[in-house]
Amino acid sequence: MEQKEFGGKMLDIDEDGFIQDPEDWNEAVAADLAKTEGVEELTENHWKIVHYLRDYYLQYNMAPMIRKLCKQTGFKLKEIYDLFPSGPAKGACKVAGLPKPTGCV
Amino acid sequence: MDLITVAREAGLEFKVNVRGHEFSSDMSVSDGGRDAAPAPAELVGGALGACIAMMVQAYCDTCGYTDGEVGVSLAVELGDNPKRVAGFVIDLELPADVPEEKYDVIMRVAEKCSIHETLANPPRVDIDIT
Repeated sequence: MEQKEFGGKMLDIDEDGFIQDPEDWNEAVAADLAKTEGVEELTENHWKIVHYLRDYYLQYNMAPMIRKLCKQTGFKLKEIYDLFPSGPAKGACKVAGLPKPTGCV
Repeated sequence: MDLITVAREAGLEFKVNVRGHEFSSDMSVSDGGRDAAPAPAELVGGALGACIAMMVQAYCDTCGYTDGEVGVSLAVELGDNPKRVAGFVIDLELPADVPEEKYDVIMRVAEKCSIHETLANPPRVDIDIT
């Protein structure tokens, strides 16, 4: 298992850079994960999405559907992609410390 | 409809020819391709988005709604076991002069596009090795 430093800690990551243990996550880890997705600074809008994803995951042990994410955070789909260019699944979920979403695209 | 042909370009990239129009499809680097073109599932999403946009634009043109253009933002949701497209999430933008009371009609127009109908009523797929 590859390891990389995020938020001052050496963490296990998979081949796509998702941290393996969601318990390792904190805001400093998120900030470093965001840089791997081309997001140099997490704004208030980024944090709104990240915290919603994380709270949802901790409650239901799964990521929300994209439409639910849009409705609950008030962002249009395009706005989510503007904030996280690799998308809600591969980008925002990674920054929020969630497991890698399934699928092959 | 005319014959659609698919021929290898390089690696996992394939060139699609439709009535002389050419485009490619490839897989992402993490899935073994070179990311030289959209993945097949993304092309399905693009086809759905384009089809909805065309139908709704035609409706708006007919009704004289001209303050802006129709636009679509679309995300493909993936599923496993079996690997597949599990869903499409679509934001539809309308000209600013479309009244809100027409939104229900426009939703029905969007859902009547041929790709939406195809996905709602899965077609037969007949594969033979030749």
